[in-house]
Amino acid sequence: MRRLVASLFVVAVLGLVGLAAGNIKAGFIYVGPIGDYGWTFAHDQARQIVDEEFDWLETVYVESVPEGQAGTFIDQLVAQGCNVIFTTSFGFMDETIEAAARYPNVIFAHCSGFKRAPNSATYMADFYQVYYLNGLMAGALTKSGKIGYVGAFPIPELKRHINAFTIGVRTVNPNAEVHVRWIYEWFNPAAAKEAAEALIAEGCDVFAFTEDSPTVVQVAAEHGLPSFGHYSPMYDFAPEYVVSGQIVHWEAIYRDFLMKVHDGIYNPTNLQHVDYWWLLSQGAVEVGAKPGMVINPAFEDDLKAVVVNDPMLGEISVYDLVMTRLHQMGDPGVTYDPFQGPIYDRQGKLRVPEGCWLSADSLVTMEWAVEGVVGPWPGEPTE
Amino acid sequence: MKRVGPFVLERRLAPSRAAVIGVSVLAVLAALLVMAIIFWGYGVSPWHAYATIAKSTLGSRYGLMEILRRTIPLLLCGVGLVIAFRSQFWNIGAEGQLLAGAVAATGVALYSGIPAPWLLPTMFVVGFLAGAVWGIIPAFLKVKLRVNDVITTLMMNYIMIYIVEWLIHGPWKGPTMRGFAYTDTFPKAAWLPTLPLSRVHWPTLVIGLVAAVLAAFILARTRLGYEIRVVGESPDAARYAGINFLRVSLWVMILSGGLAGLAGVGEVGGIHHKLLSPVQVSVGYGYTAIIVAWLARGSPIAAIMTAALFGLIFAAGDVIKVALRMPFQVTGVFNGLILFFLIGVELLMYWRVRLAPKGERWTGKAGSSES
Repeated sequence: MRRLVASLFVVAVLGLVGLAAGNIKAGFIYVGPIGDYGWTFAHDQARQIVDEEFDWLETVYVESVPEGQAGTFIDQLVAQGCNVIFTTSFGFMDETIEAAARYPNVIFAHCSGFKRAPNSATYMADFYQVYYLNGLMAGALTKSGKIGYVGAFPIPELKRHINAFTIGVRTVNPNAEVHVRWIYEWFNPAAAKEAAEALIAEGCDVFAFTEDSPTVVQVAAEHGLPSFGHYSPMYDFAPEYVVSGQIVHWEAIYRDFLMKVHDGIYNPTNLQHVDYWWLLSQGAVEVGAKPGMVINPAFEDDLKAVVVNDPMLGEISVYDLVMTRLHQMGDPGVTYDPFQGPIYDRQGKLRVPEGCWLSADSLVTMEWAVEGVVGPWPGEPTE
Repeated sequence: MKRVGPFVLERRLAPSRAAVIGVSVLAVLAALLVMAIIFWGYGVSPWHAYATIAKSTLGSRYGLMEILRRTIPLLLCGVGLVIAFRSQFWNIGAEGQLLAGAVAATGVALYSGIPAPWLLPTMFVVGFLAGAVWGIIPAFLKVKLRVNDVITTLMMNYIMIYIVEWLIHGPWKGPTMRGFAYTDTFPKAAWLPTLPLSRVHWPTLVIGLVAAVLAAFILARTRLGYEIRVVGESPDAARYAGINFLRVSLWVMILSGGLAGLAGVGEVGGIHHKLLSPVQVSVGYGYTAIIVAWLARGSPIAAIMTAALFGLIFAAGDVIKVALRMPFQVTGVFNGLILFFLIGVELLMYWRVRLAPKGERWTGKAGSSES
């Protein structure tokens, strides 16, 4: 017991010395394997990028950590001398906060959660604007008026994304529907394939999804149907059929956070209100089939051929509309948001009043389904 | 006598305790040797690897605590399975029974309103009952309808997994979890106390140790234990003696399922403090416990040792991941190798191997037995 206290003390002192010398050893706790081609893969790519960039930075990681064991691994990383620790799954929230209390001199940052402490910040890179842009393109490309969406879990994050996507679709094609299937797993290529096939049988002819593999892209391509990549650049899996997609850049957040720790702007006493909610304008997410390719050239003509009438912009092709909205949301002064009222849910209730935008808090707790979403929606508010 | 290549195998009826322990140790050493080759191939010095593992598990208080934490659910499930296997009831359903206990404990913790001093005991009692109920359904099916117990107990796992998924996505989804699939956190009164600076929920550990001793007593000294052993060793004799199969099977599965249920109470009450995705609640303890029970060879007391061995293997896997920076899949390879060799040496326990005498003619078909 005494030895443990003593070793904790030594660790704490070493941590302080490390910080003072300006050298950072950052530990990353991942929920999945680094080879999942989805969430954990993207975090690990970002870790490698920042590790290359800064010579004062050393990084280590632990993969496939089950919930309820993050605390154990945090202890081990701290014992190895980590003075900054990133935990990258919602399920690690309570254990991160408990560890932050255990190690008051170590800096923590928890991804996707909402609990903070003086030495523990939160961060998230969100795709809802990107999904809206993808939705605009999908609305122009569907012939049947039915778009398929394979979803992992019916949680607010996905509901927000599907809603934003549907808003985009209906902007271009006011009668189109987005048909949703849930597979209740983050990574399950077999279930994703089954869901995509079922949606094709229902008549869907354009696809978007949330699942950590390129399965939906591949299934759609086998049927000659266009789709949108998710999380990683998926252009290479079907170069003729991937229209665009969502790409994450966690390194934007890690770079900013670690530089501020290095420069002493962040220290273990002032993180109580540090919450990164980073979108297009901060460069944490990107719209595209692969980096730098917003729209696959194979679809440019199709998107230029469809013209919509926007109240502000007048007659405009979908291609130009996408580019305009991208600038409005991507430039530092954001002048457009997909959830711009009036927006009604599919039961007819007004959810966003005319002229208003939603707060970040309303976005992260979103449970309702926008008009145009078809299919089961667990947790849909009844009143 | 069996002939395999240049060797003959001779049956030995009851392996001595020394043979069992000696051969088992040999198996573990063989597994470590193969693992050393894998370490070496990955560019990690095997010597350094094993020194690191030993230092970080057995060689530190922290490591020992991690072993204990893993041992708790393995011990409770393992003792239950020892009882079941003694009666030749092939309970593959400890995973589902564990989850049943976790569900029941969550219901009590969040929705019963029972005052603090009684809350934890009630969670354990209700968790035991829930595991027992999940266990006696296959027992009924086996005795009354002759449905294969391996199939039913295994399938009951999946039913319970989906019940847990439904609860956390549906009626029990916690309002404070912002739509994520978790129940709310338990009130502090429903948290199991832990040993200082560790996550060892000691009440569950004590229950596990007491259960092992009690199970040994029941099997060795009571009428029920006698009936369990007779049913397991000679069903015909049991039938001839007028032993009531239904009664014995029900008791076996009440104990086996109930103990697994207690393990579930420990996991949600001691570690997670909420109900969450079933693969996170248990990380396969119910399945690993099958091997724990198998290696204990019918002795609940030996299950304490084998559960601790697997607690050590789990903890060693974590060390490989963190301290040695090897891919997480290596943990599975490590565990698999140890199992492979432990089960592989079964043969050596019940058969003596010696070189075939020169000139002895090969008479039967390969692998046929004449003894």
